[in-house]
Amino acid sequence: MAVADARYGSDTALSGGQTEEDGAEHDNIRDCESTSSSFSCSDYSDDLEPEWLDDIQKNGELFYLELSEGEEEAALAQAAANQGVSTNHVRFSEKEAEIITEQNKKQRCGSRTKGEPTLKRLARILRRKRWSSQRRGGKDGGKDSSTLSPPASILKNQPGQRQGVTVQQQQLKEVCVYLNPKRLGGSSTPLSNSGGLLEALLGVVHRPSRITRQGDPAGLTQEERLTVHGLIPNSPAIKCGQILIGDVLVAVDDVDVTSENIERVLSCIPGPTQVMLTFQTAAPVDAGTAGETLSVRKTKASPPVSQLVRLLWGEDTAELQMSIGHIPHIVMYLSLKLDSASPQEEEEILYQYPMCEASSQLKGVRGIFLTLCDMLENVTGGQIISSSLLLGKHLVHVGYWKESNNLLVIGLPAERVPLLYLQTVVGDVVRTLKVMYGSLDSAFCKADHAPRLDHFFCLFFQQLIQPSRLRDGFSAPPPDVSGTLFLDGLPAVRWLTLPPEIKVEVDTVLSDFESSDFGEMSEDFFGLRRLYVILGSCLFYKSYLIANHLPKEDLLDVCLYCQHYCLLPLASEQRVGQLVIWREVFPQQRANSSSSTAPGFSQPQGRHFLLIVGLRHFMQCVLLEAGGCASPASGSPGPDCVYVDQVKATLLQLEVLEAGIEERLNAPAAPCLSCADWFLPSSAARDRLDSLASSSPVLSKLAEAVKGSSSGARGRSLFGEKARRSSPQRSLSDSGSEGQMDAGSGSGSSVAPGLSPHSTPDSARKLGGRRDSLGSGGSDGSGGSGGLFKMTSRMKHPNPFYLGTLKKTLTEKETEEMYNTLKLTSGAENTLFHYVLMETVQGIFIAPTHREVAQLSGSIHPQLIRNFHHCCLSIRAAFQQSLPARGRRTADRPQGGGWGLGPVKEHGVLFQCKPENWTDQRKPAPTMTYWVIGRMLLEPVPQEFYVCFHDSVAEVPVEMAFRLSFGLAL
Amino acid sequence: MMLQDGSLQLLCLTASSGVPLFTRGASKQLPFSVIGSLNGVHMFGGGQGVVLTCCETAGGGKVVWRVFQDSVMLIAVSGGRGGGGGGQGGAGSSSKEEEVRLQRLLENVWSCMVLVLGQDELANVRNVERLKRDLRSCFGLIDQLLEDRQEGILGNLTHCADSLLPPNPALLQEAVENFAQSADSEFGCLIVHGKIAAATEKWWRLAPQEVVLLSALMRSLSASGSASCDYPVFLPQGSPTVAHRLLRFQLLPGADVCVLCGPTPSLHRAESGLVCRFWSPLVETLRDCLAVGDRCLPGSVSLRPDVLALLLINRETRRSVSLVRTSTNHPLGDPPLPSKARCWELLKLFYIFSTTRYFSQEETLGLEERAQRGNTEDFVLGFSHQPLQCYLVTDECKSFGLQTPQHQLFLLIPLSVPTLALRTVATQTLSDITAATAF
Repeated sequence: MAVADARYGSDTALSGGQTEEDGAEHDNIRDCESTSSSFSCSDYSDDLEPEWLDDIQKNGELFYLELSEGEEEAALAQAAANQGVSTNHVRFSEKEAEIITEQNKKQRCGSRTKGEPTLKRLARILRRKRWSSQRRGGKDGGKDSSTLSPPASILKNQPGQRQGVTVQQQQLKEVCVYLNPKRLGGSSTPLSNSGGLLEALLGVVHRPSRITRQGDPAGLTQEERLTVHGLIPNSPAIKCGQILIGDVLVAVDDVDVTSENIERVLSCIPGPTQVMLTFQTAAPVDAGTAGETLSVRKTKASPPVSQLVRLLWGEDTAELQMSIGHIPHIVMYLSLKLDSASPQEEEEILYQYPMCEASSQLKGVRGIFLTLCDMLENVTGGQIISSSLLLGKHLVHVGYWKESNNLLVIGLPAERVPLLYLQTVVGDVVRTLKVMYGSLDSAFCKADHAPRLDHFFCLFFQQLIQPSRLRDGFSAPPPDVSGTLFLDGLPAVRWLTLPPEIKVEVDTVLSDFESSDFGEMSEDFFGLRRLYVILGSCLFYKSYLIANHLPKEDLLDVCLYCQHYCLLPLASEQRVGQLVIWREVFPQQRANSSSSTAPGFSQPQGRHFLLIVGLRHFMQCVLLEAGGCASPASGSPGPDCVYVDQVKATLLQLEVLEAGIEERLNAPAAPCLSCADWFLPSSAARDRLDSLASSSPVLSKLAEAVKGSSSGARGRSLFGEKARRSSPQRSLSDSGSEGQMDAGSGSGSSVAPGLSPHSTPDSARKLGGRRDSLGSGGSDGSGGSGGLFKMTSRMKHPNPFYLGTLKKTLTEKETEEMYNTLKLTSGAENTLFHYVLMETVQGIFIAPTHREVAQLSGSIHPQLIRNFHHCCLSIRAAFQQSLPARGRRTADRPQGGGWGLGPVKEHGVLFQCKPENWTDQRKPAPTMTYWVIGRMLLEPVPQEFYVCFHDSVAEVPVEMAFRLSFGLAL
Repeated sequence: MMLQDGSLQLLCLTASSGVPLFTRGASKQLPFSVIGSLNGVHMFGGGQGVVLTCCETAGGGKVVWRVFQDSVMLIAVSGGRGGGGGGQGGAGSSSKEEEVRLQRLLENVWSCMVLVLGQDELANVRNVERLKRDLRSCFGLIDQLLEDRQEGILGNLTHCADSLLPPNPALLQEAVENFAQSADSEFGCLIVHGKIAAATEKWWRLAPQEVVLLSALMRSLSASGSASCDYPVFLPQGSPTVAHRLLRFQLLPGADVCVLCGPTPSLHRAESGLVCRFWSPLVETLRDCLAVGDRCLPGSVSLRPDVLALLLINRETRRSVSLVRTSTNHPLGDPPLPSKARCWELLKLFYIFSTTRYFSQEETLGLEERAQRGNTEDFVLGFSHQPLQCYLVTDECKSFGLQTPQHQLFLLIPLSVPTLALRTVATQTLSDITAATAF
């Protein structure tokens, strides 16, 4: 009876067994003790060996990720408790949750030393176990042959699987759950006296009715019926959220089950798979919740460890993949060679991922892809790039990449990747693969690459299709799909400008490292030829590039790899305890440049290796060359401890600068940004700002200082708040601003006719500012606007939220100066919302940091940024399509007909936004209009500039870019 | 390469059996094997529940498929421009614009087939050979659509009737109304220089696509040079199965009037009795109207000098006015202005560019129609805020587009005008035209 009770109470269900063994003590150490019989010392007897040593695979590659302690503890609770998505349905107390964790851990690894209290150690072992089982193919291949098959292929057996729940009749409901018998871990739960597989595998507690006296009547009347009496926490049953106590399980995968045959049926499940359970339910299922596994998941408490980390660790790919199984997407590598001598089924598919229902439909029509690829080249004289297909309601874009006799086909849902940007996405994937494997053929045609490619493409699709799930560990705003697409698609890395003294220091430290002068650790010391030449390295801090000593193309290669494995967000959002990545890479520039370089110089034919070491928020990527000057590499060398340690030492050395960098990140945005919400006359926000302005002594002091320095006549309306209220375009929206615009560019001489009298001074000042900018010959003028750099001596609207820091660091005089130089927009107020400036030559771009954006908060602003990014996709596509034309025009200028729209230099779109859910019926919703403008500059350095600012002041993007690039001096 | 650079070929087959009905366009016909394969891939996909809609190749080549009424398959193949130079990395030139153009073309060709033959004959193909023969009568119109060379005619693309705003609209309007009434019809229309100068209210109630198509038909009929004709037409939306009579009379060279009517009156009676009675008093007015010419706008509208070309669409009435100005006093030293033909080309491209990316086209498309169209994945819908205006600066000129609840305006402006002033030029042009003509 005690056992039964334990099973009932879901909280204590798993600790029940423990109670019997150990008494009532719930203590980590005790738990460990009970199973410490078979402890193997090798795991950490030798502390000198680096932790990652065991993770090196046969081919020398290493991907070792360890979270820092804080994160690790959280990870434990998650990772160990089976699949770890905690649910709202179960009330854990901290302590009990921990117990379950410990126990599971014990069940899995089964080795623990007495008196090793740190969770960290445990985690390491745990992860190592997990890792080795994941990487079976590479490391200890064939240890467990039954689980060798990649997770995706399991789904093949289940062509008819369905997602979520469908209501069949009133009384029956179907629930799909994901079961993994492997998770039982063999010896773990004593199956004999408990609920058996039903409980252990599925998590459904069923008490045979004979024992139950007070059970529900349904259970009593029909003995053999499988009534759900309880659910085990963290089990598949509870996680799906659809199984309720009182339901009766009638079938598993359409096989009728009773209490007699259930164990047999469940034991037939060979490996991780999805099964469909049919329940007879008391109440009909709420249609709203049916079929929406995704939304169900979202409502759950977000686990502290993101799916991303778990995905990188190699857990759970099948489950994640399943959740997007209904969205058509596919990657295939097809052979164009027909070998009719030995016809085998699906012989032409060299690689395919994933294996779900929706993608099988795309796979079924691969004939289309092959035929089109073959035929269209002859018809139109160009390789096929893309095609669009309708699968039922889904529009799917298919991108192609032909290499020698093989064809890479990637199908993506149109709602995620617009056709405009498909090519960039496909191009990036191809380049990443080439960097990692040398060529597509060598990536796809080796059988043992398949599991790694599965992982690669799982990440790829997850990032594109459900980025929210990867990040759900953080209280992140709804992900900005367009933003990710746009920023990742730029051939550049996000750069963080640092104060010169820090920058110099960082560069010095990096240079020291790159000189390979490792003292007595170096090969020179022992009179050996160097193992590797350090070609260069780059340093990231919280996903920002802060120093780069790599050539641009190499930087882009490295960055593509980092982007693909989400290393950058990882380092910014979580503290990485330790990250060590080592692999051979094939930098594209070096691979292709054999013919094109200057005469007399040839690239050394060496092999290249990428070493990435992350420590807390720092991450350094080092490109090494073997061969050439260094000794040639043979076989597949693993990471060299010396090099890894040297990078670590470098990072540790840099840690003293962390405070300085953090200060930079915390500093007020430069150039200053405005929040879109400030421009909408919503009373609440206005009041808050007003009160802030009036209550802040610094602000008023600042006003004084400004009054003193600038002419007193203007002092009255210096502050944004006041100016804003008096300027017509704020309150009147569209018509007002147009009138103002007319006045501005008509001749610039007279006062605008449409302006109300009281606002004249304000707008007159604006006119003045605009005339300045007109002087440079409009945005067409290239350069020559140096005088405008410091064009306004006026005070702009300081962001009241940052004054605290300002007060500490700067005198008022300095503050004023800083504002004058860092303001990007002209006119009295700061109207800049967002910007992206890409420097094509160096392959970097700058944009407001995440923190700067977050500090602006507001409800409209995030929307605006999403919109900005979406628009940038279009603008950049317009730039892109004109680029090849530009190259070709010199050769043969098309006669008469011309080339589409021709090369686009500048492109702008004006948007209007309204506050959401405007309830006031009497007044129309206030509106705010803003420009998103993209500008391509070829002189003096090739740049692409994207900016978003309020409509009230006409801006010249060239000048803004010019001003901004001053801050980008490297 | 089987297709010439930039050439276009239209293939028509029966959807069920893949029998080729006709091919038009490009001087050199595609080999039959290619036609078969193009049809084959689409059919194969259809069998697997996958509908292939379009395809793009490097260098801007495009193939667009579309099946109408489950019976007729239309395929448009456009050759790349410059061929192969783009390579895999380079994006095709204005691919999206080309795709939309081809989609429009297929729709127009289908409507045109319905207009001439009626939907019944096309939807239920009993005798393929006969259908092939009958379809020949559409070739004139289809070729006109394919070439799309008439300057100043954008209706095929915009699905808004190309209009000409006469100096004295009231007189003409009255005459058209009376003329139609006397011919027992509610649908009457006066076409000057191929553009609608006046039409009865009911005429504007026809589906925009039909109005455009009828204008196209009128143009091709009047190009034949006959003084009058009686032509049976099916209205693709209004009455796809019952034919009406289109009576057309030439009033002056370049000015035609037409009515859609039932069995009466006879062509002869209408020509001899009605035309003279209603139109001879208005000869001078018509001459004034003809004098407006390509400008499409009456002399009372003064345009700013810095407008190279313009397309103004009234979103409610689905009418459009477009013009390209020949520059008279172009200052030396400025970059050369694009040629007139190039201006028309740019105007079209800019229209497609703006409407596919920013300005949604609220068309009277049925749900089914929209699903079929499927191609344009509505990039527009991805915006969280409403786009109002947009501009482009290219090597040749600047383009500005703006959208208000009632109008869409697209302008080409010389490079010499500063970008800051574009918006003013546009708003002023819009207000000038609307104030002077109530368009």
